[in-house]
Amino acid sequence: MTETETDIHTEYNPYKSKILVVDDEARIRDACKIVLEGCGYDVCLAVNGVDGLQRIQEEHYDIILLDLMMPELSGFDVLAQVKSLHPDTVVIVITGYATLEHSVDAMKKGAFDFIPKPFTPEHLRVTVAKAIEYTNALRDIADSRSRMRTMINRLSDGVMCTNQDNRVVLANPTFLRMIGCPAASVKGRDIHTFIDNAVLLDMIHQSLETPESEFAERTQEITVSGANNLSGETVLSLRCSPFRDRSGRNLGVITVVHDITTLKQMDRMKSEFVSTVSHEIRSPMNSVLMQLQVLLDGLAGDITEKQREILTRASDKIESLARMASELLDLARIESGLISQEREKVDMLEIIKDQAAFHLPGATAKSVEIVLEVPPCLPPVLANRRNMEEVLSNLITNAVKYSPDGGRITISASSGTEGLSIQIQDTGIGISAEDKDKIFQRFYRVKNDKTRYITGTGLGLAIVRSILEAHGGRVEVKSDPGKGSTFSVFLPLLNAA
Amino acid sequence: MNDKKLVLIVDDDPDLVESVAMKLESQSFRVAKAYDGVEAMDQIKKERPALIILDVMMPRKNGYELCAELKSSDDYKDIVVLLLTAVADAVTTTNYTHWDGKNTLADDYIPKPINLEKLMGIVKDYLG
Repeated sequence: MTETETDIHTEYNPYKSKILVVDDEARIRDACKIVLEGCGYDVCLAVNGVDGLQRIQEEHYDIILLDLMMPELSGFDVLAQVKSLHPDTVVIVITGYATLEHSVDAMKKGAFDFIPKPFTPEHLRVTVAKAIEYTNALRDIADSRSRMRTMINRLSDGVMCTNQDNRVVLANPTFLRMIGCPAASVKGRDIHTFIDNAVLLDMIHQSLETPESEFAERTQEITVSGANNLSGETVLSLRCSPFRDRSGRNLGVITVVHDITTLKQMDRMKSEFVSTVSHEIRSPMNSVLMQLQVLLDGLAGDITEKQREILTRASDKIESLARMASELLDLARIESGLISQEREKVDMLEIIKDQAAFHLPGATAKSVEIVLEVPPCLPPVLANRRNMEEVLSNLITNAVKYSPDGGRITISASSGTEGLSIQIQDTGIGISAEDKDKIFQRFYRVKNDKTRYITGTGLGLAIVRSILEAHGGRVEVKSDPGKGSTFSVFLPLLNAA
Repeated sequence: MNDKKLVLIVDDDPDLVESVAMKLESQSFRVAKAYDGVEAMDQIKKERPALIILDVMMPRKNGYELCAELKSSDDYKDIVVLLLTAVADAVTTTNYTHWDGKNTLADDYIPKPINLEKLMGIVKDYLG
């Protein structure tokens, strides 16, 4: 339990502990009542063992102060009954002749503590307070167990917890339904006796064997048929993580199952929509481009220099329009969360090197130098590879575009507690403070005399930001107008996930 | 002039067919045209082409279906099929590029927008 939770519990707990005093001596009963009510407890009295037993059968008490020596029914008999009726009730024995023998005997039979007669009010208060603390702790445990059980049972995700021997500690009804297990409870059973999906079994085994040094949540998607009482297929996303004790030993595995069938269906519909739209927009543009090419090739007759110039410009415009259409579709796909679903362990160093190599010819054409200042290796990130390539590609393209001839682009990378960071630094025209806030907006382009001849759609940085946010990362920019800009990319590490 | 090789262009966009045809004719190929998969099959039966430039998304019978039909036929499986895909690589997850993950058996792929020079290069590679 966290500290906050404990505080809330104590602060708002309206519960008044209930105490029953069973003693045939009126003097003792009354003294106890005065002292304990003074402490804020709810106190009931029973005049002898029989009376006490009846009250115990009718009601639940947190604490019972029990005289051992009573006529008819002795304290020992009452103690035995209490233990069988209410095992969580705490019994404190009051003993008139405080012999060690009786007390030890009572403790053996389940009493929590004993008070020898005669006792001082202070002695009573302290002993009861200690018992109250104990029952409160017991109640807290019971409460949080019940809270947790209700929570887990009500979850719309399937949850299963298994131990080191691959036996079930708990599995909620959703889990059983999702994996198609007809049993109402599988507590204590070996997972192999009711799970037949090899992927899931393998994930649990691997999670259990994950060394302490490595935090790795394993994720997989599986397709099962007939779960959920629905016809057709159900797509489940599986997540397994080991849980450990204080010394870092694996105690077992928590498996969480999420039904992503609807998501997958929407995903497919959206992909088809995107692809249809992309076809409808791009096809006419493509054929216009070809017609212009045919004209430019002189296949439809000779053309003048002026006509060639106009046709070339028209061609360029259509081409950038076609590019914008695909970027827009990319952005739409990223924003609808389609891309970030498919993630893998990605080595950013490899992507940095590939992208730097890919953009080198373009940079060299402008006499712009690309310098890599990267460590020999970087820890992996959990990301979509294509997305990461796009982030790097967009940032490097921009750096080249906005650099004057003879400029220099430095790409550096490092990893630390915050995660992975990648810097793309250029010696270009820089960005004014005013523009800095807006460049990540869609379609925003910096317009001044230096950017007039630089073409673009104004979508590149919006795509970069969308991708990074979908990956739990971010992008920042620092710039010195006239001297250059530095774009910094931050990504969480796989191990810190 | 029957030694000129016959190329069949199949696309539902007549402007595209015309442009490609003009380019091919300028390079001494004979050209046949069709605007959907069914028409294309009729053309193939009438006069067997050496190579087909085949669009993927078309009404009546799409390019994947026609390609599969040709490649599974003993009479036509030797015809070179170049598949035209308008869908950019960005949309790799759609069924239009992967045809539900099935192998299309096409000899080659030409991405749209078509670069006519590159297309000619590929056609000449196949037809020697």
